[in-house]
Amino acid sequence: MTPVAVTGCAALTPLGDRVDALAEALAAGRCAVLPQPDLGGAGAATMGDFDATTYCNVRGLRLYSRPTRLGIAAVAVALADAGLEPAAVAGEGLGTVTASTFGHLETLFEYDRSVVAQGPLRGNPALMPLALPSSPGAAIALSFVAKAFSLSLSDGGAGSLDALGLGARLVAEGRARVAVVVGAFGLCPELQAAARRAELLAPDGAVRPFDRRRRGTALADGAAAVVLERLPDARARGAEPRGFVAGQASAFSADPAGRAAALARACRGALSASRVAPAEVGLVSAGAGGSVEGDRAEAQALVEVLGSAAPFTPVAAVKGNLGDAVDASGLLQAVVALAALRAGKAPRIAGLEAPEVAGLGYLDRPGDVTAPSALVTATSLAGAASALVLTARHDG
Amino acid sequence: MPQRVVVTGLGVVSAAGTELDPFWQHLMAGQSFIRPLAGFSCAGMEGLVGSEVALPPEDALPPWVDRDATRARCAHLALAAARRALGDAALPADGAWRERAGCVFGSTMAEERQASALDDRFAAEGLDAVDPGFLERADPFRLTGAVARAHGLGGPALMTTTACSSGNAALALGYDLVASGAADLVVAGGADTFTRAVFTGFLRLGALSKSFCRPFDKRRDGVTFGEGAGALVLEGLEHARRRGARLRAEVAGYGMSNDAHHITAPEPNGDGFARAMRQALATTGLAPERVDWVSAHGTGTQYNDLGETRAMKAVFGERARDVPISSIKSMLGHTNGAASAIEAVACALALERQAVPPTANLEVPDPECDLDYVPGQGRARHVGACLNLSAGFGGFNVCLVLGRAP
Repeated sequence: MTPVAVTGCAALTPLGDRVDALAEALAAGRCAVLPQPDLGGAGAATMGDFDATTYCNVRGLRLYSRPTRLGIAAVAVALADAGLEPAAVAGEGLGTVTASTFGHLETLFEYDRSVVAQGPLRGNPALMPLALPSSPGAAIALSFVAKAFSLSLSDGGAGSLDALGLGARLVAEGRARVAVVVGAFGLCPELQAAARRAELLAPDGAVRPFDRRRRGTALADGAAAVVLERLPDARARGAEPRGFVAGQASAFSADPAGRAAALARACRGALSASRVAPAEVGLVSAGAGGSVEGDRAEAQALVEVLGSAAPFTPVAAVKGNLGDAVDASGLLQAVVALAALRAGKAPRIAGLEAPEVAGLGYLDRPGDVTAPSALVTATSLAGAASALVLTARHDG
Repeated sequence: MPQRVVVTGLGVVSAAGTELDPFWQHLMAGQSFIRPLAGFSCAGMEGLVGSEVALPPEDALPPWVDRDATRARCAHLALAAARRALGDAALPADGAWRERAGCVFGSTMAEERQASALDDRFAAEGLDAVDPGFLERADPFRLTGAVARAHGLGGPALMTTTACSSGNAALALGYDLVASGAADLVVAGGADTFTRAVFTGFLRLGALSKSFCRPFDKRRDGVTFGEGAGALVLEGLEHARRRGARLRAEVAGYGMSNDAHHITAPEPNGDGFARAMRQALATTGLAPERVDWVSAHGTGTQYNDLGETRAMKAVFGERARDVPISSIKSMLGHTNGAASAIEAVACALALERQAVPPTANLEVPDPECDLDYVPGQGRARHVGACLNLSAGFGGFNVCLVLGRAP
């Protein structure tokens, strides 16, 4: 794949709305996950005071779901970070790819319950179009007048890395001059209750990626976005690339016994597409979020893929700090990885004391990143796996 | 260099048939399958019509998806179409191909009925209505996940949600995965069924037909819904040739655009359609004069059909009246995210059988819709290449380019 430059980043999380502030918070080991009384002590990381109008003022904002508003705000921040005026970039040169699996649910509930309560002729017609899984992506494209393309993927936790790979390919092909890839996730009571009853949440509210004592995850509010451009386009307008999308690949295994192998296939595919050898990986920004089976499979996949370099390759896992912002998580990991590649430092894994699977360079303290490539990994509950390679430099 | 991508398997489950021959024959005859609905109802709404699928017993839903098939109707339809497409592709029994085989499905609503089922109980039970399986059942990815699991596919598994162009978006992404070498083959398509949100919402928006779907007809007054699924096996040409596969058609590429105009209304001049078509032609190197048929989005709403007509004129100019364009939604209703996948199956059959299906129910011409919509019955004609056009709420336009098998 033609290397595509990342020229702008956004990360809206409970630890702040600036990438540098997030990096500082992670370096300081701050954790946004707090036990929630209404979840019986299981945790969540919330952005209670989030107000999208702080970031932008687009039509319809008031009607949009919270995840949609988070996504719109992330796009506004990423464009600003790229030095692009929304009005100047709007139109046929702008494309968007949105990762959203559950971002429509709160609107669907609101609309459908109004139909149940008041009858089929009384539902609010303005809400129905926003009750579809496509609606966050539609609202984002409409808000920024992205006419080149707007795609929407609903791949759960693997989705935002799939979206980044897709966005990079579409930009490399020249289908847009600028693409914004965005993932957003917002908590709602039904999702929290469903996750708790499905026994996905750590009962004590502690997210411990890769740790022997891990008992589950915690869901989180969050959104991330990156701006992609071909390198000559970025250079022509004097933009400084934050890094490059070198390659991405996906794989699948429904069978839990095959999930390590599926993630390993995705990692090898991404590395091969990037022409980056395992020993050249300077950082792994892992998706591990405290799942008993998921984290084990991820560790096994990384041991296998990194081979002899595995013990010496730093591994970060920010869900220990941020919780799991499902549709945004992979992109958040990617933004953190880009910041780490530039700073030469990566944060330690919060909540990890005793790794279960040996042989990886888990960061038990902030570590140096000495090689210019990062491997980012993400998986979904259903068994999708996605891997991405980012590089700090491009030799071309 | 991107690989050429061929279609080696087709599968469809629709009211017009669950096998290719009856499906095609019924379409060519211009037969409508809109009936009073038996399998779906919505309290307070009388006289609902649509096109319903009767799945044969061999399509019984695997219990690992759900013991109650009513809780996974969309995945059920996707599984049925994918099983047919993969069967049609006659892949080797040894299964070594599975690890590099991907799956991309799309849907407008996916399993939204699961949210409705929860809502029916929510007023009385509150959050106690949420059961441990809700997250898995309501996950849109369930369609793709079910198909990939049923066939042990280990390649990329993606779920597109671009409203009613989701099927075409899935095919476009599937094309990319094969063309780029990320997968040897991909089963791609779309599936959708009836939901309360869409029926009541379209009614309130004034977009639900009071009679039945009549694309391009002066009397057209909105959409009529249908359920169904379509699936295509997309395979690298060399891979397909090595195993001696039957080549049914070629996917040459796609174009995409977004209206960015309104959350529901399409851009009135068809500019989004036109840009998607132009990109499709430009990126595949297909000259406009080599397009022999356009499979229309053709929903039967005033705006869509007019916009699509204007887009045809913008792209084909003087020649627009010489390019037949027809909407099989006139027979199947609008199957939402399944529609463009089912229409892609029709495109592959049109290329193979050298004939184009009609627009049924088109009896009173609209002076503003003055193209050749193939009214009434299908017709035999040379089809060397065709465009499969689709759009969705939110302005998501995708145009797929198909050609004859090499």
